[in-house]
Amino acid sequence: MTVTEPHTARPAPRFVRADGPDKVTGSGRYTADLSLTGVLAAKFRYADVSHARITRLDVSAALAMPGVMSVLTAADVPDVRFGPFVQDRTLFATDVVRYEGEIIAAVAATTAEIAQRAVDAIVVEFEPLPVVTDLEASLAPGAPLVHDGWAGYGAAEVVVRDRNDASFSSITKGDAAAAMATADVVVSSRYVADGCHAAPIEPRAVLAQWEGDKVTIWTSTQVPFDARAGVCETLELPANRVRIIVPHLGGGFGGKCGFHYEAHIAALARAAKRPVRLVFSRREEFLAPDRRREGMIIDITTGMRSDGTIVARTGWIAIDNGAYTADAGFFSQLAAMHLAGPYRVPNVSIEAHLVYTNHQPSGSVRAPTAPQACWALESHTDELAKAVGLDPVAFRKLNAVDTGAEGPSGQTYDEIGLQQCIDAATANAGYGQELPDDEAIGVAIGWWPSFSVPSGAYVKIDGDGSGQIITGAQECGTGAVMTLRQLAADELGMAPEDFQLVYQDTSVAPYDMGATGSQTLFNNGRAVVNAAGQVAEQLRKLAADHLEASPDDIVLADGHASVAGTPAATVSIAELAGIAAGGELLIGHGSGQPPGPPPLVGSTCVGDLGMAAFVAPQFSCHAVRVKLDRDTGVARVLAVSTAHDSGTIINELGALGQVEGGVLMGIGQALTEGTTYDDQGKQRNAAMLEYKLQTCADAPPINTHFVQIATPDAGPRGAKGLAEAPNVATAAAISNALAAIIGRPVRRLPMTAERVWETLNEEAAR
Amino acid sequence: MSESIDRDLTLSVNGIAYPVSVDTSRNLLSVIRTEIGLTGTKEGCDDCECGACMVLLDGQPVNSCSYLAAQAAGREITTIEGVMDGQELHPLQRNLLEEGGVQCGFCTPGMIMSATALLARTPSPSDEEIRIGLSGNLCRCTGYAKIIAAVRRTADEA
Ligand code: FES
Ligand code: FES
Repeated sequence: MTVTEPHTARPAPRFVRADGPDKVTGSGRYTADLSLTGVLAAKFRYADVSHARITRLDVSAALAMPGVMSVLTAADVPDVRFGPFVQDRTLFATDVVRYEGEIIAAVAATTAEIAQRAVDAIVVEFEPLPVVTDLEASLAPGAPLVHDGWAGYGAAEVVVRDRNDASFSSITKGDAAAAMATADVVVSSRYVADGCHAAPIEPRAVLAQWEGDKVTIWTSTQVPFDARAGVCETLELPANRVRIIVPHLGGGFGGKCGFHYEAHIAALARAAKRPVRLVFSRREEFLAPDRRREGMIIDITTGMRSDGTIVARTGWIAIDNGAYTADAGFFSQLAAMHLAGPYRVPNVSIEAHLVYTNHQPSGSVRAPTAPQACWALESHTDELAKAVGLDPVAFRKLNAVDTGAEGPSGQTYDEIGLQQCIDAATANAGYGQELPDDEAIGVAIGWWPSFSVPSGAYVKIDGDGSGQIITGAQECGTGAVMTLRQLAADELGMAPEDFQLVYQDTSVAPYDMGATGSQTLFNNGRAVVNAAGQVAEQLRKLAADHLEASPDDIVLADGHASVAGTPAATVSIAELAGIAAGGELLIGHGSGQPPGPPPLVGSTCVGDLGMAAFVAPQFSCHAVRVKLDRDTGVARVLAVSTAHDSGTIINELGALGQVEGGVLMGIGQALTEGTTYDDQGKQRNAAMLEYKLQTCADAPPINTHFVQIATPDAGPRGAKGLAEAPNVATAAAISNALAAIIGRPVRRLPMTAERVWETLNEEAAR
Repeated sequence: MSESIDRDLTLSVNGIAYPVSVDTSRNLLSVIRTEIGLTGTKEGCDDCECGACMVLLDGQPVNSCSYLAAQAAGREITTIEGVMDGQELHPLQRNLLEEGGVQCGFCTPGMIMSATALLARTPSPSDEEIRIGLSGNLCRCTGYAKIIAAVRRTADEA
């Protein structure tokens, strides 16, 4: 079933989030809003240099200061190396620091001012080591090693490592070299993307309190169970003695995935025998976490027949891993997939390297690797179209995958809506219309996998007929957890408002992976539907007894259980709940089997971290109208049309919000957001004044179409993921608009006014 | 580090007078959040760049992170906690929810303060005036479109 609906008009009110009243009245509590009696303030001592050996570390002056209750270094915590792919990290620097934001010591004191003075009183002396910042130089033979003990680190077995290459991956299909040799037209391009930041408006915060041998940690994480696992691993505690609670979360965008500082603060609180709270400054938010979007160098070559049919693609990618691998281990394979792209490419050979440098570590930020690789691929695609004299949209229609087609890694797709996305987005943008010569519409397509993982939830109905969903899922603002109410309500014939949510507390609810990988509705939705289904079964049995009918004939709708075909035979769910309260309680628990990976045929993947086969792949097309001021190089986005195949859309208002937010983030990434470094690998623009997010004044109108296909082997009702996909193709579409105006692509991301101006003037000089 | 100089002040927040004794270097944001105990006003940057800390001072929007508490004495301070109409949501609050203008909600209090000031100043703003009026408030989640729609609807309904 395919339905394409426009959403240009203001949507009618449909969905008010359960957490909405908390958020509009200021009564909702975020982590930094919490306090506890006797709470201490935490501050960290950072390396502040990018690569050096610690020759002296003396905390005695800090410890002696009045008001300082604990000071910790590596010597005070278990000697544990951690990391999900490569165990290259410790809580505190041991003998070498590898990026400026690495933590050497932590202080807890009665006030933040005293804690800061104590941090300043810690004596650290260094012997400088060579700073590695250049990706190609880092991979060269004889390059200084970021981790000279790399070979001895533990790592997931499938990760292919060699010196500064923390994770190598390749996708090979057919014979790319031979096919390239026979191609009529071959185009090669290099594109280079800077790193950038997730930049949620809430800086992170952690509050920890011990009672006996158990610790409760309130933290601004997107992944409470992952945070718990990190605390357990590094402080050597069993899972049932660590409780992670997330108050309202002020955005994350991947920046708050992973395990950050919960263990440092728990360890400080244990040492001080007092609750301890950490609240990051914006500068710390920029410098310290192992979660920024990775810089990349991308080489791509494509061979075509003269009619524009792609016959071969080769590529080489270097990804800036930064100093530690964090969750970036799978980035090499994911980037390779995004460089291959959602195209029919019979012969593929792409290699990707995740390269250690002395920069801040990279980690999953909203669709990691995809916007940069898509920007390179789709800019290159417009170069291809030009080389064979085809319109860029016609070129994409010719080569993009479709239902039943085989993709670049050997996956054959079930019903997908990419071709419809291209048609809808370009039609709504008015692609092809006459425009002034300083304006153009650029088009790009993108894709993104759904993540199929275990997840659990409970559903109960109390004696008064009101419901509760108790879920391990994490709400980071997207509304995905809020939408669970709708799924439970539909299953039980009740209204979403009949349910309250208890969520983001690891000691209360079953496991969920968290607000990451756009997976909440896909997996926790399945769990909630299963759990609610069990309660529905109970209700049907109760109603059948009550109404003297068969359970199979009971219909749950409008808050009532009725006998099908006999509307008069009916009982309210509240009445049934009252009966159940005196007997067998109404409780359901759900998880369900996650859909398995689709098969791949004819391809070989080295360093296979499960990213070459896309479960329930999402597709998109963005068409962006851009105006360029040729005198200054300043680009302005005038309008954006998007079309997304994310399967069935369950919460339309929430889905539109994801697309609009993702597009704006993509515009920032395209034009203004890029980290710049000094020659020592230190960030030069770690403040919002220098690192510019898009404002309301910059925001263009965004028109969104959903190509809705009830996708098999996907989430509830055939839904796929959504939250990351809108971030994928925006920068690429802007690039193609700029290239159309200028006559050649801007080969650096972000495409700042300066870089656009340089490209314009190079073109003029030709 | 200079010694702190505490000063006794009375701050009037949402129509209630609060006596506080604070260091003269303290910013208004930290005093509202810590001494007065109203945490609806957020800190996003402490650098006058994000607008999460926006409050009204005698009706004028101010980034409270960059305003000394001592300077606010004798003026009427309005925070997000003072926006509700008794037990009812203010139309702007309700419209933000119905239009989908709230996601993580961290920018929302500051956004509401800016929008309140905008609508008081310009009861029927053009879309461009809304965009400019809210341009000091960063939102990373929504892409702004639904926030603009909520302000527009509030103006239209007034
Ligand atoms: S905290 Fe005041 S403007 Fe950001
Ligand atoms: S709703 Fe999250 S920053 Fe605006």
